[in-house]
Amino acid sequence: MIALLPQQLVLGLLIGGLYGLAAAGLSLVFGVLKVLNVAHGELIMLGGYGAFWLFALAGVDPFASLVLVIPATLALGAVLYWALFGWVVRYHEETRIKNSLLIGFGLALALHALAVRLWTADERSITTAYAGSVIEIAGLTVPLVRLASLVVAFALIGALHLLLTRWRWGRAIRAAADDWEAALLTGIDVRRAYVLAFALGTSLAGAAGVLVSVGYSISPSIGLEWTLKALIVIVLAGLGSTFGTFAGGLVLGVAEAVSATVFGGPYREVVGLVIFFVVLVARPQGLFAR
Amino acid sequence: MTARGVLGGVTLVVLLANVPFVIHRDDVLNFLVLTLLTIALAQSWNIVGGYAGQVNLGHAAFFGLGALVTRTLWIAGTPVLAAMLAGAAVAVAFALAVGGAAFRLRGAYFAIGTLALGEILRITVGNTLPEISTLPATSIATYGLATRYWLALGIASLSVLAVAWLAGSRLGLGLQAIREDEGAAEATGVGVLRLKLLALVISTALAGLAGGAFAYYHISYYPSHAFGPQWTFDAVLVTFIGGVGTLHGPVLGAVFYVLLKEYLAIRWVDFHLLIFGVLFVAIVLLLPGGLVEVATKLRQLPRGVARPRS
Amino acid sequence: MPESAAAHPRAALLDVEGVAASYGPFLALSDVTLSLHAGEIVALLGSNGAGKSTLIRCISGLLRPRAGDIRWDGASLVGVPAHAIVERGIALVPEGRRLFPSMTVEEHLDLGAFAPRARAERARSLDEVHAIFPVLHERRKELVSSLSGGQQQMVAIGRALMAAPRLLILDEPSLGLAPRVVESILGVLGDINRRGVSILLVEQNVHAALGLAHRAYILESGRVAGEGTGRALLDDPHVRRAYLGPLAARS
Repeated sequence: MIALLPQQLVLGLLIGGLYGLAAAGLSLVFGVLKVLNVAHGELIMLGGYGAFWLFALAGVDPFASLVLVIPATLALGAVLYWALFGWVVRYHEETRIKNSLLIGFGLALALHALAVRLWTADERSITTAYAGSVIEIAGLTVPLVRLASLVVAFALIGALHLLLTRWRWGRAIRAAADDWEAALLTGIDVRRAYVLAFALGTSLAGAAGVLVSVGYSISPSIGLEWTLKALIVIVLAGLGSTFGTFAGGLVLGVAEAVSATVFGGPYREVVGLVIFFVVLVARPQGLFAR
Repeated sequence: MTARGVLGGVTLVVLLANVPFVIHRDDVLNFLVLTLLTIALAQSWNIVGGYAGQVNLGHAAFFGLGALVTRTLWIAGTPVLAAMLAGAAVAVAFALAVGGAAFRLRGAYFAIGTLALGEILRITVGNTLPEISTLPATSIATYGLATRYWLALGIASLSVLAVAWLAGSRLGLGLQAIREDEGAAEATGVGVLRLKLLALVISTALAGLAGGAFAYYHISYYPSHAFGPQWTFDAVLVTFIGGVGTLHGPVLGAVFYVLLKEYLAIRWVDFHLLIFGVLFVAIVLLLPGGLVEVATKLRQLPRGVARPRS
Repeated sequence: MPESAAAHPRAALLDVEGVAASYGPFLALSDVTLSLHAGEIVALLGSNGAGKSTLIRCISGLLRPRAGDIRWDGASLVGVPAHAIVERGIALVPEGRRLFPSMTVEEHLDLGAFAPRARAERARSLDEVHAIFPVLHERRKELVSSLSGGQQQMVAIGRALMAAPRLLILDEPSLGLAPRVVESILGVLGDINRRGVSILLVEQNVHAALGLAHRAYILESGRVAGEGTGRALLDDPHVRRAYLGPLAARS
């Protein structure tokens, strides 16, 4: 069994990149707006079905579909902010987080039911012509599509980092995250920074969904699982550092691979959740501190 | 609780208890069992989630434990009531084991922490007991729906009674103080953790009993199904839509929920979740009092005009 | 409006007229009227809880007054969002500095010029800020958390100046700083004022504030209890009471 570990580690790293990308969006939204969107996983699911539809109906390559899915989910994020989450930002922090959690919960249920209506409850994945290609490195098998997904995930994280440090509004988003009142007094339209952050977070979810649909599989009920993965990564990595979040994703992927090898495949999920609960309880206040 | 409320409640329960003698349709009884179990589950959630204000997203764990223990003991030959009590005891024991840790978390952190707990249990049970649990042929032969119905009615009544008692008790007042402002409650000498644990014990005992009734009612199901997050979600939806932190809310919410679910299921499976998801968001944003608040307002309207204050 | 300013050379730049404000049920300000003319340094004095910070929150748009009007250059500021008030030329250095912990000195100054009008003058403002606080240029790449308290206050003032304000409001700039540092920070305010920026200063250090200000107002229990030039106020019994606020309350 231990002989399988190196191969498991490779696969763990590959999916860990997606965990990191999934967490980056949730972390951005939580860090900036202090809004906990538990429907983040459902947004990932929608991104995945976006790619699936584009592939099935128009034959668009899933990686190319990012060009369409990212702007579409940006717009979706802005709409969700205006329709739902923008309502709670006027409350003080504790109420804000709790109400946003409830709104996210309702949204998650609605999106899940909608997805079942639109795409049925079946599991789907995108099978491209190159789907089965693998590279052999030192006796290890690396699925090409998953490797490409990891590279794209890393590139998107890099792009996010650049946006937040170089772009004028990116800096404004960080300022609003640090101290929204001081940001207002600096002349920043904080509401607008919030909309932008939420839209960016949603589009990161959408992009992650595209990558999930091509290397792995999607179904209407993957939302909860991905929300939990993102939360676990945030707990591991903390808020505030984009690359730190990505690294946290890789760590979770590796931890899952190790535990699947040691305890058996079915316990892959449990280990992450146990770590999550223990860390959460050990640092109840300082958890999401920077 | 007013005298009129008690009288109304008792009358309703007596009427409901006679339903199996009058109506001999399985579909009606099944519908009522479902509604009663939903009432019990939602009302049990309401104690910690509504009165104490701690959104527990791992509630299914306690329902599942009650179901698992009851089913195992009952099929092994234990009388069903004893098996259910054992199920509730295990649910409470688990609650006490994790409650101290979970209640270190506040607000949304408590919610996601308990969500993780529930999932840990569900996945573990799914891995250890992957086989479907089906009643032995002898039990199926003697299966009586009316017994299940009376059991569900009893547990639903018990849960409503528990919350009615709680609402007027010192414990209930303490929980509401915690809900309004936990820091202030602590500062005024309310033993916050002790009260929360007490609430959790009552809540999980009822959830365990409801799970036991579920295990007694269903002919076959996967053991991990009773641990599924949808049980928690149902309880949260029903309680919020009916009116969170009220006695009547979960009852009203459950009737509305099951009615719509059954009605819509004829044409569209799961479509009720789309409606309830949207409704839930609308209630959180616009109408935090739920259906109960609507009902109160509607009743006050004409009376307020006729007799401003008698 | 330049025309009206020319027509009435003594017309005030900022006019606070009968402003009342509250936090929840607590009335923090009742009927405050005061004004500030272009080029002036005006000090706002009063004990803790007198309503100074509340008034400043009203002027900068963080709190909406319950009654009264705040006019800036002839136009009402009531209901204008805080970020748009910065764009109109009022910058606030908040109490406790309120810097962004994840950002460098340079990023603070860059964000200070966020509003469109300020962005157009960004280069000139940056030169000015660096001329006033050369240390901010030296340490521009550092995170603000590595700076001393006095230097952090300089970043806060520099960030506000980057907005190219016509009015700079400072809320307790000397709070928590060593006396020598306070002296140099307050000294800089005179320098900034000579560059054409009006100043509204809230300060516990009454002697220093009155030494610097052209005029001053005393706030007491949410209303204006006195007004005058620095020297005249120092002899006023109201000032003595405000100045000795905690002691007077005890006797």
